[in-house]
Parts: sequence; structure tokens; C-alpha cells
Amino acid sequence: MVSVRHLSFRFGKRWALKNVSFTVSKGDFVFLTGPSGAGKTTLLRLLHGALAWQQGQASVCGFNLAAMRRSRLHLLRRQVAVVFQDFKILPERTVFENVILPLDVRGMPRMKSERRVRAALHALRLENLSHTPCAELAGGEKQRVAIARAVVPGPQLILADEPTGNLDWKLACRLMDVFRQFNAHGTTFIVATHNREIVEAVPEAVTLHLEGGEVDEGRYDVGEGCYDENEAPGTSGTSGNGEDRA
Amino acid sequence: MSVFIRLVFQGLRDLTRHPWPQFLTLAALTLTAFLGGLAALFLRNLDAELLKHQGKAQFQIYWKQDADPELVKKQWQWLKELPNAAEVTTFNPDQALDVLKESLGKDVDFTWLRGKSPLPYTALAYFRLPEGGEAWTRAVFDKLKGMDGVQSVHFNPMRLDMAQSFVSLSSRIIWPLTAFLTLLVALVVGNAIKLSLLSRKDEVEILQLVGAKRWYIRLPLLAGGAAQGILGAALGLGFLRIMQESLKDILNIPPLWIKITFLPLPDCLALAGAMTAVAILASWVAVKE
Repeated sequence: MVSVRHLSFRFGKRWALKNVSFTVSKGDFVFLTGPSGAGKTTLLRLLHGALAWQQGQASVCGFNLAAMRRSRLHLLRRQVAVVFQDFKILPERTVFENVILPLDVRGMPRMKSERRVRAALHALRLENLSHTPCAELAGGEKQRVAIARAVVPGPQLILADEPTGNLDWKLACRLMDVFRQFNAHGTTFIVATHNREIVEAVPEAVTLHLEGGEVDEGRYDVGEGCYDENEAPGTSGTSGNGEDRA
Repeated sequence: MSVFIRLVFQGLRDLTRHPWPQFLTLAALTLTAFLGGLAALFLRNLDAELLKHQGKAQFQIYWKQDADPELVKKQWQWLKELPNAAEVTTFNPDQALDVLKESLGKDVDFTWLRGKSPLPYTALAYFRLPEGGEAWTRAVFDKLKGMDGVQSVHFNPMRLDMAQSFVSLSSRIIWPLTAFLTLLVALVVGNAIKLSLLSRKDEVEILQLVGAKRWYIRLPLLAGGAAQGILGAALGLGFLRIMQESLKDILNIPPLWIKITFLPLPDCLALAGAMTAVAILASWVAVKE
């Protein structure tokens, strides 16, 4: 599903990720942990093509990220959905309009897409808010809208960046339950968090720790974040300059 | 095709989702169209006015107070039939009084003078200059002055020289000024559209995140930009037309006799087309950035 080899990335002179390698199989539930500034968000952004690749090799859902052209990014993003801490939903549009967006961009027939949206809203207990503008929702509801939008097209992989950051403990646990339900149906999850309690709430998940090169079950060979320029890695790959291409 | 139409309509509908930025953008476009049109209107009228006098000699002929009206009318007809006569405007004493009243303002009341106007019969005659214009002008001047009942004929050779100089100047400055104006309009419209799209930056980012193709993101924005360009140009030109209608005769008084005319249709279409094209282009560039 995801295979990363010797990934390094820097913003200007500062290394955000250095020599990171790991693999994630289909159906895995992976927590990406580490302190603030460890490079969790950078790694997630690289995995869905929001940042231009610099060094190393990676394959995500069969797409070679290092050699990926910008004009083909939409194909990757139709397989990889993202959930952000700040939701990234359109506040002036209704819940329904936000959730149907990924299906509209795929050109799915309206009847079929509406059926899928209704199912996703039902799964996330959002049916009653279907026609409510997102600007009027509470934080937890917005997060559920963002998740509904992520799951509705049935992506192979969902990347979530601190999805519980704005939620209280109860809502965070409920959110993890939703993730586990979708994971049980085969969707792969990579969830970035620095919340240890959340990690412990999902016992079947594996952890990928970004800082110090923690190895888990032999499948994760993780590099380090936050380096000086002098410690530049000697790995090969394409080069860039921290360019944002979202 | 249905997706194309849906996205175009979505672009138009989206304009109402961010009413304030869109309203301000529309206001900027309207103002730009108005000011651009105003400058074009000024240049057009200046050009037309200068061209009207190009190579033409102007004579003002005043008859004596006791001139025979029948004879004067025959002389007017004779004037109009003279070789090279381009335009002859005539005034009987009452018409001259009306013009004087118009020049002095609404508060002046000359109704008590109607029928016994002290002003003389007058004519304003323009002649196209043939080769050797100066000698010919002198001959016409003598001929006009020699008419029965004519009190005086006014002709200023300097005016002719000045008109010719202005024409030469006009032909030199009209096109550079038009080009400068076009550039100015393009810059203002382009930046206004780009700024308005900043309010939709998040929307573009989200569409990219959910896997939208570039054209899917751009088409509604281009449709919205085009709509704003067309609407802004239409409103701007509409306001300009209202202004022109209310002020068209403000300079149509002696000694100017300048009637402000509206921009010809091709100029209006060019301005609206240019604004729409720039708006579309700016939308395209803004999304690309």
C-alpha cells in the first residue's frame, strides 16, 4: 500500500525528515507519532502529493511519488483521502454539499452519489445535519463531516493529521471507533498524533515513531526528523526545495 | 457536456457564496469600465472635434440689423451651395437670442424680447480647404464680406493653423493613449479578479485535495470571472451612457459648439470584450498560482 525508502525532505536549510523508510500493508492501522516538529505533517503531505518530492523513493497505492507529474496528482488523490486537524471543509456549503464533493469531481451519477453520501452521513450520525451549513456546526461535527468526505469515495488509504487535536477525549474516542469501523472494512489508515492515550485506545494499531528511529514488528524502519543541513543524508532521489504543490 | 454546463452554472452560482468580495470586485470592474470608457469617450470626442476642423476654414458672418430677411435667406442658400461648403449653420435674430439665453443660463429671461430681438442674422460657415488654401480663403472672405447687408465677417487664420496642429498632435497621441488605457484597464481588472479569488483559495485547495482535475477547478472560476467582466463592463458603460446623456449638450454652446457623443458600438464591444478576456485570463493565472 505504502512503501517509503530513504525519504529525506527539507524546508530551506532545515531538514524536516531524514532517511525515513517504512512500509504499510493494505488494511493496516498505523499511528504516526512524535513530538511537535518531528515531521509528521510533512510526511503526510508528501504521501498525498502536497509537497514536491526531494530525496528518496516512495510508492503509494501504486503511484511512484518521486516521479509523479503534477498533472497526474488527482489520480493519486482519488485513492488517498486526507483528514486535517482544521477540517478543511467549505463553511458556506452544507454538510451534504461538502460530503458529495469527492464524488462530484469523479463525475459519479448524481443518484448514485447521493445514495453513497446518505450512507456515509448515516454512518457518522450526520443525517439530521445534512442541510446545515458547515459554518454552523460544532468542532466535533465538522470533524465528522471531514471524515465523511474522506470515506465516501471509498479510498484505499486515509491519512489523518491530528484528527483529534480539536476534540475532547470522549469525541476523540468516538472518532477512533469510526476509523476502526472503516478499517475493519479494509481501508488503510495512517493517523498522525502526538496523543499517547489515543494510540493506546486502538490496540490493534502499529506505531511509527518519528524521532530516534523506533522499529516496530520489523516492518518499520523509521528515520529521524529535525536535522541541520550539515547532516545531509546521502540517499538518492529527485530533488526539490520544499515546494508546496497542494 | 452536461458536466461542462453544470460547472459553468456552478461558477455563476458560486459568485453569490462570497457576496462581499464579489461585490467589491464587481464595483472595481464597473469603476474601471466607467473610467476607461470616460477616457475613451474624451479621446473619441476630442479626435472627432479636431477632425471636424481638419483642413476647414471657419467664417462667422453677421448681417446688419436692418438686413432684408428675404435677401438673407437667399444668401444663406447661396452660401450652402458654394463650392467646398462643408457645413453652414444659420441663426435668425430669435434663434440667436435663444442661443444667447442658453449661454447665459436658465435664470435669464428673454421672453420679453421675442419678436424684437436686437441680435442680427448670423451664419457659421465651414469650408473644406482646396490646394493653396490661404489665397482661396482670402478670396472667400472677400466674397462673403461683399454680400449685400453683411455687417462683418470674422475669420481667424490662427484657428485654422491651431486646428491643423491639433490634428497632427491627435493622430500622434490617440493610439499611445489608447494602448496605455488598455494596459491600465487590464492591470486593474486582472488584479481585482486575482484578489477576489484569494477568498476562494481554501475552496481551490480542498477541490485539489479531493482529486479534482484542473479543468474541473478552473471552469467555474473562469465562468465566474467572465460573468464579472461582462457585468462590470455593462454596468460601467451603462453609467457612462447615463452621464453622457445628461451632459451631452453641456459644451454645445457658443463658441464651442461641441456635442458630446457616446462611444461607437465597436468601441463599447471592444472595451467589454477586453475586460472579459482579462477577467478570464486573470482567473486562469490566479488558479495556476
